[in-house]
Amino acid sequence: MTGTINLKLDINGRSRELAVEPRVTLLDALREHLDLTGTKKGCDQGQCGACTVHVDGKRVLACLTLAAQVEGRAITTIEGLADGDGGLHPVQSAFLEHDAFQCGYCTPGQIMSAVACIREGHTKSDNEIREYMSGNLCRCGAYSHIVAAVREAAEAAS
Amino acid sequence: MTFVTPKSKHGDASDGNLGGRLSRIDGPEKITGRATYAIEHQIEGLVYAVTVQSTIAAGTVKSVDSKAAEASPGVLLVLTPDNITHLKSATTWAGTPGPEGPFLALPKTVRFNGQHVVAVVAETLEQATAAAALIKVSYEETEHVYGLEDPKAGEGVPIDPMTKSWGDAETAFAEAPVRIEQEYKTPREYNVAIEPHGIIAQWEGDKLTLWEPSQWVDGMARSYAEWFGIPFENVRMISPYIGGGFGSKALSLPHGAVAAIAARMLGKPVKLAVTRPQTFTAYGGRPATRQTLALGATKEGKLLSIIQHGVNETSKLGMAVEPLGSVTAIMYAVPNFSSRQNVIPLNTVTPGALRAPGENPSAFGIESAIDELAYEIGMDPLEIRLLNYAEEDPHAKIPWSTRQLREAFAEGAKAFGWSKRTPAPRSMRDGNQLIGWGVAAGTYPVRRTPGEALVRILADGTAEVASSSIDMGQGTYTILAQTAAEVLGIPVDRIRVKLGDSALPRAPVAGGSQLANLMTGAVHKAALAAREELIGLALNHPNSPFLDLQLNTLTIADGTISTPRGERADISIADFMQHIGQEKIETLRDTLPEEKKNTVDRYNNFTTMMAMKSPTEGGYSLHSWCAHFVEVRVDEDFGTVRVSRMVSALDSGRLYNPKLAESQWRGGIIMGIGQALLEEGIIDPRNARVINNNLGDYLVATNADIPDLQVISVGIPDHHASVLGGKAVGELPIVGVAPAIANAVFHATGKRIRDLPITLDKIL
Ligand code: FES
Ligand code: FES
Repeated sequence: MTGTINLKLDINGRSRELAVEPRVTLLDALREHLDLTGTKKGCDQGQCGACTVHVDGKRVLACLTLAAQVEGRAITTIEGLADGDGGLHPVQSAFLEHDAFQCGYCTPGQIMSAVACIREGHTKSDNEIREYMSGNLCRCGAYSHIVAAVREAAEAAS
Repeated sequence: MTFVTPKSKHGDASDGNLGGRLSRIDGPEKITGRATYAIEHQIEGLVYAVTVQSTIAAGTVKSVDSKAAEASPGVLLVLTPDNITHLKSATTWAGTPGPEGPFLALPKTVRFNGQHVVAVVAETLEQATAAAALIKVSYEETEHVYGLEDPKAGEGVPIDPMTKSWGDAETAFAEAPVRIEQEYKTPREYNVAIEPHGIIAQWEGDKLTLWEPSQWVDGMARSYAEWFGIPFENVRMISPYIGGGFGSKALSLPHGAVAAIAARMLGKPVKLAVTRPQTFTAYGGRPATRQTLALGATKEGKLLSIIQHGVNETSKLGMAVEPLGSVTAIMYAVPNFSSRQNVIPLNTVTPGALRAPGENPSAFGIESAIDELAYEIGMDPLEIRLLNYAEEDPHAKIPWSTRQLREAFAEGAKAFGWSKRTPAPRSMRDGNQLIGWGVAAGTYPVRRTPGEALVRILADGTAEVASSSIDMGQGTYTILAQTAAEVLGIPVDRIRVKLGDSALPRAPVAGGSQLANLMTGAVHKAALAAREELIGLALNHPNSPFLDLQLNTLTIADGTISTPRGERADISIADFMQHIGQEKIETLRDTLPEEKKNTVDRYNNFTTMMAMKSPTEGGYSLHSWCAHFVEVRVDEDFGTVRVSRMVSALDSGRLYNPKLAESQWRGGIIMGIGQALLEEGIIDPRNARVINNNLGDYLVATNADIPDLQVISVGIPDHHASVLGGKAVGELPIVGVAPAIANAVFHATGKRIRDLPITLDKIL
């Protein structure tokens, strides 16, 4: 396969153009072509959640999505979560405050999932948060603090 | 190079000092996606390498058909056992000479299934991946040994330095009124850092730069220097953030050599990212272990004798020892003791270090066995532990520096409500759920190696700390900023910390839970020297506003220099530095003993583990301690086990930042829950392949597996253990979790599970 295709992607409210092979995943497009390395690759096979981004506001695994599939859709990555000017999204602040990470590698995915989890309304109890945050593995074991951060951010949002 | 400056909000001003609950200062970078992990470094002209791993367990690569791959679009290079550069053998981590002969990153001889045998380099990752799939390797297969259960495994090799004995364990056991004897097993377990291993290698002339996640940039840089026969100074390793290591990112590995070879051959920077399935054989995790334990005791539960024989697997290439007697020999006061260990070479990648190597499976054995003894004589499992409490190190026969284990038992039991436990198995239930309460203790030694640090006070009143030590989530950035802030009297948000670069002052391995103690010690020393120099200038510099006062001391706090009794107006450090026209004050200090400051010892100190002191050197036995209390709920019909509640009390000495230490504790406990209930490398006997080599089949704990976890610090400052009073933190908490859960499962069900993980098939 040699041919490349021209794509125009709407990422974090900006239009980004790139020429890639059609087999390039959204994850590799972000990381290897667009200098958006905040979205992490933990498994490249849909099992860890580190690559979670939002497509049209819904959480999606970027490693199981082709870049070509998401043309014309609104993509949000961790870099675009907060509104401009260096501030933090409330979920990011809650993660910092509760020390909901250690190495930080699963963290962008956790935060993107958490924002969606709150939006989906799956934060009615700690157990529900645990269940709906279980697609994101954290080997450092920050789960207790992730639950606390999501709970707090959800309460603040409601 | 990465600078991290504190930006986070925190509770009160004291948080900035050592012991405060400051939020991690690298946090803002990590939660916004700005933290750039090693292989995310952006570099012009990057090309991509992908390896092909062997599909047989033993034999030789007969030939590699790479025609289709070479003709595939974008392919630049195919490396095989026939054309791979032969590197020089590198010194081992222990400081001993490496194996004889050249180092072959893609060897012709296959010794395990999943060994890198070919690498393909192409313009893009997709091209390299596609071309790698076209490689055809033909092998000449020989007989293999797949695991400890393989009848061909044999007895292995006795490891004499592991032998420990005192008294007459055999006779005492034979004569003991109460005897139990059982075998305990742990499977192959994997580190599974969420950031897979990878590397970017780039040559400029004979200078090699490596962006690679590393727990030890100096040690790994040395391997590359020796492999390629270039001076150590020519290798620069950069590892600003590490996406988890747990022991797996401390040593240079074949894939790194492949990337560096390819980069040199092509004259281009090469990125090689190990795929998740490949991580299961690109380096080793914890070897499978088994141990028999014989405990002899009085009818009242006093231990008379412990006899242990342990075995762990290793590879056909290297000798990895997982010391199974480490906890056994120090947990309880026992007059007669014997422990020995064999290692069995078989066809696996050489096992490596995984969180608390040795202590972890060792505790699974002894902490299960003592529980069995408690039931045998009808005693409370907590009581039997207190009855056999070791008042001094029973092996080294020297005092503990501090051992807050009794306090851990007491505090943990109180918080857990242990006194409400009914002793008989299957005596507590909630509907169809059997409830079990279990306890187990854990320990991890305090390891010590000298460190080095640079502290720089700048003209703008800020300060920098620099060290090649690393932060993989333990909180190094944060606690070093806190150390410098406290000593310098400069607010923590004006301190920048620079880590993870072999161009910086040196540090030994971030392993064995030693880094926090040794680096806070080194930064403390360097910062004290900087502070002294600053005060010296304020007292004696001809342009100092304090010169005429003829004082012999000044105070520095909150970034301001003041006279003791307000003789002169305060002046900020920035104003003072400008006043005297000083650009910076820079102090580089190490904690090497005088006789080890020469070039050779210094080099070995930071690039091997030769200088690491044993926990008993110096007259005291130095260890961290913990007690875990667990509640499990076992479904009576299905045998599913859930941990529903846990309380752990831990003695890590003084905590430099309790918020971050608690995170490490919880993280270790969570990894322990996964180890107890889920984790197991499954090997296909036919070809010694790890068949569950992915995160959907090799299960680690998810959020839904983890209940409320309470952690309690019972430590006190221990200045025998370290300058600033801390003991081991990171590896301690996992030790004892699996036996505490196994003990709770027994209490719930009456079934004793002696081989991990505790899965429903073993319970039903
Ligand atoms: S990288 Fe996409 S789920 Fe793991
Ligand atoms: S913070 Fe390290 S994997 Fe989650």
